[in-house]
Amino acid sequence: MKTELGPPPELLFKRKIQTRTALRDLWKRRELIMTLTERELRVRYKQTRLGFAWSIIMPILLVIVFTVFLQRVVDIDTGGAPYAVFVYLGLIPWTFFSVSVNHGGQSLVNNSSLLNKVSFPREVFPIAAVVTSAVDALISTVILIGLLVITGYAPKVQVLWVPVLLIVQVMFTIAIGLMASSLVVYVRDIRQALPLILQLGLFATPVAYPIPFSPTFEKVYAVINPLAPLINGYRRTALFGQSPEWDLIGISALSSFVLLILGYRLFKRLETGFADVA
Amino acid sequence: MLPEGSVQAERVWKQFRAGRARRLLEIPQKNQASRKRKGEWLWALKDVNVNIEPGHSLGVIGPNGSGKSTLFKILAGVMYPYAGRAETVGRVGALIEISAGIHPELTGRENIFLYGSLLGLPRREVATRFDHIVDFAELGDAIDRQAKFFSSGMRMRLGFAVAAFLEPNVLLVDEALAVGDAAFQQKCLERMREVLAQGTTLLYVSHDLTSVEATCARGMWLDHGTVVEEGDVREVVAAYRRSVEEVVEGRDLPRGPINVMSADVGSGGPIPSHEDVEVTLSVESDASRRAILHIGMSEGTAAPIFSVSRELHFVQGSTKITCALHDLPLPRGRYVLWVAVTNRMRHHLQSWHPTTTFDVTGPGLDPVPAAVARLSPVHVKATWSEGADEEPSS
Repeated sequence: MKTELGPPPELLFKRKIQTRTALRDLWKRRELIMTLTERELRVRYKQTRLGFAWSIIMPILLVIVFTVFLQRVVDIDTGGAPYAVFVYLGLIPWTFFSVSVNHGGQSLVNNSSLLNKVSFPREVFPIAAVVTSAVDALISTVILIGLLVITGYAPKVQVLWVPVLLIVQVMFTIAIGLMASSLVVYVRDIRQALPLILQLGLFATPVAYPIPFSPTFEKVYAVINPLAPLINGYRRTALFGQSPEWDLIGISALSSFVLLILGYRLFKRLETGFADVA
Repeated sequence: MLPEGSVQAERVWKQFRAGRARRLLEIPQKNQASRKRKGEWLWALKDVNVNIEPGHSLGVIGPNGSGKSTLFKILAGVMYPYAGRAETVGRVGALIEISAGIHPELTGRENIFLYGSLLGLPRREVATRFDHIVDFAELGDAIDRQAKFFSSGMRMRLGFAVAAFLEPNVLLVDEALAVGDAAFQQKCLERMREVLAQGTTLLYVSHDLTSVEATCARGMWLDHGTVVEEGDVREVVAAYRRSVEEVVEGRDLPRGPINVMSADVGSGGPIPSHEDVEVTLSVESDASRRAILHIGMSEGTAAPIFSVSRELHFVQGSTKITCALHDLPLPRGRYVLWVAVTNRMRHHLQSWHPTTTFDVTGPGLDPVPAAVARLSPVHVKATWSEGADEEPSS
């Protein structure tokens, strides 16, 4: 069947997206990101008895599971650190990443009622998800510090490198969050697949055990999974007083940065159609 | 660069895909119609232009599915056109599909602040307007309750109050008021006039034509995504009413035991206001019976301005009935004569239907204050006098 006549082709709408203005608009809405974070935290624990305790239950439970079961089955080389501390140090950054991506990925679909009413840069939703899980990570970190004190680990000077590692991790997390959230709007299957992919990611990342790769493959792997050298880096600095492996961190940073640019561009491109399908 | 509060759309086109992509593991549908529809693009808006200067108002009317909400979403900046260009300058307060983004898990208070920051207002500015919003929404202590425990009316009131009190440059109101009770609807309309007077641009979609007429200066009639008519709101609304009336008149009336074969008001030609007029009907009945004949006059809608009825005797075959109406209280305009026949139990022997249109000449109606909607036109002769009050107040 011949459909009705459309508009003349020269009239077609082409949205111009300039990264600079887009980022400026986003900066103007930083208060909105904080409000959304606050809302997320309030909503999440409203009408729950345990409240904020929930944010640390998940990593602690995993620590217990790994310590009780995994450690007994395989002999894991922790470099001399107590296994619980070793795992916990991997789990905090991993949980931060996976919760950010999982919640961020669904954030647009879950907030479709808002998408249809008010205009503002849509990336505030996945970014707010990252900020929200950063709050959880902060609480877990306080627990970690307590754990370190109990087990007798004195803070090392190298801990000062952690903020650098964090910047790389946040870049990578936002990049994946942006990609996931915008794709989920169009391909809802990803919403179902996301938790599975993240589950696999847990085993493909040196969270519960170090992954012994040859030095060459380690570099290649840093491109694919920038989290791997980062988590090793957290351990090296906080547990063993070593500097991060800068060559690997550099690759990881570069990879994260490229992904962030790609993710942002993808998001902005797909953003145009969000309200049509959300 | 356009000034703040401008709303402009130039040759906007928008299409949606009906149906969806085929799924894996899906049972193929036998239904031919739904298979054909799948994946077909439908135009929601075709070449629509909007141009509103800051502080002006536009009322958008049209049947369901005519593209009104789509147009609003594009103007609100949440949706992008397929072709053409749309621009709204300044902060937009939109009330699209009731309860603009009220989050059910949050309290009313939290919702107000959330919506404020969605609009881009700093916290302290929301705080200064907070009391006004709560007052207007008549929420009182309920403001600290979660919004999911609100009634739909409360949610709508909160949504409207937030959208209208956070001082947007452009206010979009879409069908939202229907949920509120009559008193609150009036209050909302008043508030819309108020923000309009303060320089906010107003766009209003509603099926309540009287309120559109009372609120907006300009009107736009959309049908199937195209602009049918645009201009002075009264003319546009009148044209839309006439078309609705034609649709109603064009409907085939099922034959009943009693049928109205012909109806005339006066003897052809316009009828002068405030004079006597005769309505002549020719009615066919399949049996001799007593029944009640109702006649009424309206501007096109089924709800009449006035109606009269009388129990009459109908012979088998054709009966001619005349009814003289004295001192016809209608102002200048075009009207429709509606007729129905019922039995004493008020069961229909012939349903309420329009029969003929006629014109009335004479005086028009005096203007009403802004924001006041006249329900239906009745012309009453009035004599005025003025003079000093005999008991001057101290």
